[in-house]
Amino acid sequence: MSNTRTIRFTLNGAPVKTDVEPHETLVDVLRQRFNIGGVRESCGQGLCGCCTAIVDGIAVSSCLFLAMFADGTAVDTIEHLGSSHRLDPIQEAFIEAGALQCGFCTPGFILMTKQLLDIHPVPSDDDIRHYLAGNLCRCSAYPEILAAVKLAARRRNSAAEPA
Amino acid sequence: MTSFELVEPRSLEETFALLDRDDPAVRPIAGGTALMLMMKSGLFSPLRLISLRRVEPRLAGIAFADGSVRIGAMTTFAALEHSPEIRRHLPVVTRTMRTLANPRVRNVATVGGNLAHADTHLDLPLVWIALGAQAVVVSPRGERIVAVEDLYRGYYETVLHHDELIAALHVPLRPTWRSVYVKVTTRTAHDWPALGIAVSLARDGSIIRDARIAVGAATKKATRLIQAETVLRGAAIDAAAVDDALLARAGDAAIGEISIEADSRGSASYKQHLLRVYLGRAVRAAAAAEPGA
Repeated sequence: MSNTRTIRFTLNGAPVKTDVEPHETLVDVLRQRFNIGGVRESCGQGLCGCCTAIVDGIAVSSCLFLAMFADGTAVDTIEHLGSSHRLDPIQEAFIEAGALQCGFCTPGFILMTKQLLDIHPVPSDDDIRHYLAGNLCRCSAYPEILAAVKLAARRRNSAAEPA
Repeated sequence: MTSFELVEPRSLEETFALLDRDDPAVRPIAGGTALMLMMKSGLFSPLRLISLRRVEPRLAGIAFADGSVRIGAMTTFAALEHSPEIRRHLPVVTRTMRTLANPRVRNVATVGGNLAHADTHLDLPLVWIALGAQAVVVSPRGERIVAVEDLYRGYYETVLHHDELIAALHVPLRPTWRSVYVKVTTRTAHDWPALGIAVSLARDGSIIRDARIAVGAATKKATRLIQAETVLRGAAIDAAAVDDALLARAGDAAIGEISIEADSRGSASYKQHLLRVYLGRAVRAAAAAEPGA
């Protein structure tokens, strides 16, 4: 008996569907069926943040998220933030602050930073450290990441101010 | 992970029909964060998982009434963490949230799943025990109430039957009590605890009128420290500090009433030492806290 089922969801703004097995994780389905390279399975235990995806506006570890649970949702990844022509201010801030080296963890850090700044437009150092505690950078660019988040916050806030 | 069947019933009745009283390979799944780890590591290979996410709304939500709060089993940690009412009435829960996993896991993990998982290293069940919380358990035979301290039989084992579900948690609101949770990690701040301890105290001036203490991570299951509570109950404490001798007696009582287990985060004797030290610190912190903390 096959347990395969068709799931439908919105991926980075476009409606998609695919057949999945119950045991398939969202990270595997995004990478293998939809060629989404911005979600990466690293620790596989929800600790490192490399597989961060946004499901219905909420950040999840897609390595611990059954693909079938994405049925009927809107899934966004780093590919939906900015474009190659126009980066998101958070992406620009990470580049300017030199907050990456190999880049493997960067999509997760940037997506979590966006969530953080949506909740705390002016985060304290403690807010940033706490919110990003579940994201690991093996190049250890943490001081630069902290600076990038603060730079991104300043940019977003000045852009939000009336002219 | 091995393959399994995933079903998503829309009512409790449908859910009960899918559960199997005799088969542990048929299990409900809520957020799934803990089960996924067990399945990925091969510790658990289900035949059928019954997702509760589409089950009627009675499994979700936070409702205050008659001096208690009812927290639906499908309430996520993030919903608890960001609830202004929880922050006001049960601030120890809000504080504890910041020590649990990370924001992504808290966005998905649920109160009921956390209770049912029965891993002694989980923090929140200890807080619920100290707060005197009760689980509302439903099955085809009706509803029964199980105090959280009575929910666990052993390592990863609850007293629940395989056809029972945790529907909600009832937490009494006790505005004069003060509560503290201490997570003791020995490697990194975000490691699993070597010891978890929750203390809830009621004071009448300089007298400890009542105490509830729960310990985990060093024991097979989340365990209430009845003897240590007895030592503290009725004891006079100085307004500024709690007497060392009293805390030493409470520590002795605690060590005497439980069996401390070693794991990769510490030997039994080390954890015994941690328990003495952190029981004292937690009691002092609770005694010094504001009422309602």
